[in-house]
Amino acid sequence: MGYVMPTERIAPIKSKASSSSEVAKIVQTRLTEDWLAVCIGLSVFVLSLAMLFGIDLLGWAVTTSVWTAPAKALAPASKYYASLPAVLSLIGTYVFLLIILLVAAKALRADLKRFALGFTAVFAVSYFCWFLGSWAYIAATPDKRPALKIPWSLSLTNESGFIIALLAGLIVGNFLPRFAQSLDEAIRPELYIKTAIVILGGFLGIAALEQRQLATAVIFRGVCAIIEAYLIYWPIVYFVSRRYFGFSREWAAPLASGISICGVSAAIATGSAIRARPVVPVMVSSLVVIFAVIELMVLPFAAQHYLYSQPMVAGAWMGLAVKTDGAAVASGAITDSLIRAKALAAGVAYQPGWIMGVSTTVKVFIDVFIGVWAFILAWVWSAKIEPRAGEKVRVVEIWQRFPKFILGYVATFLIVLTIGLAAPSLIPKVKASMAQANLFRAIFFLMTFFAIGVMSNFRKLWQEGIAKLAAVYVLCLFGYIIWVGLLISWLFFHGVLPPTLKG
Amino acid sequence: MESEYEPLLPIERKLIWYTFSTGVVLLIILVFLSRMFT
Repeated sequence: MGYVMPTERIAPIKSKASSSSEVAKIVQTRLTEDWLAVCIGLSVFVLSLAMLFGIDLLGWAVTTSVWTAPAKALAPASKYYASLPAVLSLIGTYVFLLIILLVAAKALRADLKRFALGFTAVFAVSYFCWFLGSWAYIAATPDKRPALKIPWSLSLTNESGFIIALLAGLIVGNFLPRFAQSLDEAIRPELYIKTAIVILGGFLGIAALEQRQLATAVIFRGVCAIIEAYLIYWPIVYFVSRRYFGFSREWAAPLASGISICGVSAAIATGSAIRARPVVPVMVSSLVVIFAVIELMVLPFAAQHYLYSQPMVAGAWMGLAVKTDGAAVASGAITDSLIRAKALAAGVAYQPGWIMGVSTTVKVFIDVFIGVWAFILAWVWSAKIEPRAGEKVRVVEIWQRFPKFILGYVATFLIVLTIGLAAPSLIPKVKASMAQANLFRAIFFLMTFFAIGVMSNFRKLWQEGIAKLAAVYVLCLFGYIIWVGLLISWLFFHGVLPPTLKG
Repeated sequence: MESEYEPLLPIERKLIWYTFSTGVVLLIILVFLSRMFT
């Protein structure tokens, strides 16, 4: 996972001439962005919780139903705002997000005018993709066809909008470079996904309240699975890149972390831990982003085909195999909708969110351990491999490298859980609150997909000559990581099924 | 990206081997625990 900052965005290689302080700057910006994601996510979360006091503060936000008539697709989320025209609801949602993200952009010292223009385009394209993905012929599951009076549908659910947004982003990123450049300030997939994950915590808190025993099992198994990922992935990738591809230690360690652990953040943290030049994590990060897109487009469909009878295995697999937070959680979301649609056709109605919940849990725990792993590597490098006189690794570095947005995720999860446990009568209201917050989570997801696509300029990366790095990446990712991830997911999650919908 | 070949140091071999073997041992233990207690 991790932050992909402007300098890294596929023009990353600009930083070949970067100063030695660049990695520090990347880490600093990432931390700031982490805290901003916490603030934005918590703001949406707290506003939605006003429903506990009978105040509907977010009910005006737009929602899109599966449609056959476009004019009836959009509507305000809450019945209290039913008289509000859908267009105003959409504009209100846009303005609300623009305002809070402009505050974030100011904190990030972005060019506010460029950000506002870029965000407008990102929001417009992303939401249009969501609208398209909600077309009944694409989205409707078999049980909904009679009500919608359609003879067939692709059964992809409305979350196919995520895939359409990704494709739109890829088209912009690869064929419309000037347009892509004009969006640059607002192409911040990591800010969007981290915000979405903070909001997601509350949503998963509801799921945990309803299925406490299952939630405990998922969390425990998630922790087990990620410990394995660190210990089994990393040494093999490091060995392959050193022994068979002849990479130096400076390249092999960040590459192993980038491929094995959690993409961009891990590559940056490792690069900084072993004192690699700034260009190293930046180049690795570029590859991570590109291959995460490929995984995102392939693995959820493979999971639907081969793992629909083991949905939680599929969810954990997405968390373990797909790099970057955005792509991993997004893959979990697509897998969730694809598998539920297929299971529904076979007569099993799984509750939504559990498969994505496993992906997110696994990914979040992976993020938590990045700081610990970077600390271990820093100690090994400074004490054993490249000892430097007077240089000590400080424990505080674990905290410095800790992805702070996870605190927001844990906070929303625990707040919902605490309210539900302390006052069970409030659970329906909390559930309604989280449903509203979830609308914004979906929009942040959508913008993440689009932004990931825009960032993925395949041609430019190839021109930069990173074929050898890519070769290690392809070999290790598709020849080892994906399969070991599948095995570990299977070992820990097979036989664990999501709860089914009642009735 | 092109750099001089650096042979694997004994400490690197140890790091690779210890990490991987710890992972395999933990895998067996944790799978057992997760099946027993959750």
